[in-house]
Amino acid sequence: MSPDRETHPGLGVTIAAFAVIVFLQVPVIVVVLAAFSTTSYLTIPPQGLTLSWFGKVLSDPTYLSAIRMSLILAFGSTAISLALGVASAYALFRRSVPGSEAIISFLMAPLVLPAVVIGVALLQFYSLTGLRGSLIGLLLAHVVITVPYIVRSALASLSGLDLAVEEAARVLGATGFEAFRLVTLPLIRPGLVAGALFAFITSLDNVPVTIFLIGANQTTLPVLIFSSVEMGVDPSVAAISTLLIVATGIILLLAERRAGFHRFV
Amino acid sequence: MMSVRRGLMLIAPLALVLAAFFLVPVLMLLPTSFSEYMPGSGLAKGVWTLENYTRIVTDEYYREVVLRTLGLGLSVTLVCLVLGYPLAFLIARGPERWRLPLILLVIFPMMLNLVVRSFGWIALLANRGLVNNLLIQMGLISAPIKLMFNLTGLMIGMTHIYLPFMVLMLVAAIRNVPRDVEAAAATLGSSRLHVFTSVTLPLSAPGILAGSILVFVLTISALVTPRMLGGPTYRVMATLIYDEYMQLLDWPSGSALSFALTIMAIGIIWLSSRLTKRWAGMA
Repeated sequence: MSPDRETHPGLGVTIAAFAVIVFLQVPVIVVVLAAFSTTSYLTIPPQGLTLSWFGKVLSDPTYLSAIRMSLILAFGSTAISLALGVASAYALFRRSVPGSEAIISFLMAPLVLPAVVIGVALLQFYSLTGLRGSLIGLLLAHVVITVPYIVRSALASLSGLDLAVEEAARVLGATGFEAFRLVTLPLIRPGLVAGALFAFITSLDNVPVTIFLIGANQTTLPVLIFSSVEMGVDPSVAAISTLLIVATGIILLLAERRAGFHRFV
Repeated sequence: MMSVRRGLMLIAPLALVLAAFFLVPVLMLLPTSFSEYMPGSGLAKGVWTLENYTRIVTDEYYREVVLRTLGLGLSVTLVCLVLGYPLAFLIARGPERWRLPLILLVIFPMMLNLVVRSFGWIALLANRGLVNNLLIQMGLISAPIKLMFNLTGLMIGMTHIYLPFMVLMLVAAIRNVPRDVEAAAATLGSSRLHVFTSVTLPLSAPGILAGSILVFVLTISALVTPRMLGGPTYRVMATLIYDEYMQLLDWPSGSALSFALTIMAIGIIWLSSRLTKRWAGMA
């Protein structure tokens, strides 16, 4: 009996692990199958194949405007969070301000609070200030929930950095901002890409904050799916979900190729 | 060194945004939670009460919802732990070439839109869903069994949603267990099970705790999946808050529940960090 064998996973563990992997993919597969099925409820084997649900979704103005709104919020809040979050993380990394531990806790706090609580707090606040239903209100709400991911990934990437490299650039005549842009930024880019991806996905995923803040004629894609499911299972929801599944898969593979995404999860 | 003034200028924009759009709104919820609700007109002016908080403990329905939320958190955490450990073990200790594909198959559902995943479970668990269809076709049941709008549906859905978090935490924890300690135990004649229970499990305990706390807090805070799989009647704390704000318009009661949920979440996190520090002190 070799000791090495005893520290490797046995057959039982391997089978259990693969069963869990299958369990994790089951709802994904079911959604994709339902999107191509002619019946509104999925059967095995499927009754017939059709692409009509995709056509229906992609010509529905409600879905199209929801997709547009979701993309505006996701791109906008990720960009704002990147600018604000990286600036703060850099200042914290350079230990320029006292009390950095407390500041970090404050910047990460939106991650600790239940999202629904942030949602109702902003609902009351926006009702009083008249920001409810405004794009800027929604954008800033999404910045609040996405910025911790940027701060966390920026701090983690910066912590592995040697300050001397940037100092060298300064000695060679670069200004502080040039040294940051030309030396530090390229070094922390993979971490930031991963953080930005997390922020983007978090914004695109969000229901518990957004649903309290949207106006009467506004909606985002997840909020639309969330509310339309109350009416029952609709194959157009499956079709739009399938498009999201494909997009997520492609983005994940690209992020893995380009930045080694799994190391940052 | 960067000057303090420069540093403050870099941090100020984000700090101001978070102060104005996070800290102040949450603090403004506090007076609301001590206000009295007047049906039709909203808040009663100048009247302060503790009733919104005492009701959470004394009212039978509220108590049931709170206990259900905690019970759900606890059971989802345990199931995630039991299902997640073998997978995490295989990723951490299995063949090198399996590692990346397996990790990507764990991350993929985690990155997927929450409403999409919950919708998938509805297609599976509904009365006319795939599971009931299959069981009826196979002749195992004659009428659909209720898999949604109850604890079963919530358990299955939430376990699926939070399992990836647990697996990733456990992978990190197991990889931190020195392999030669396990090998030493095996050399000294321990069986595979004994190596696991006496070396691997105790040494990965901090990661088990961290993963459990994460899954527990995420489960009790969740709104989307409980609402989609639990429907409007089978409520947990987050969906009750949602209804008090959106349907009943009882903001005082909803905000008191919000603080109760927040305190539960933060309390658990605080308790676990105390525990971890004590463990670190013993080592």
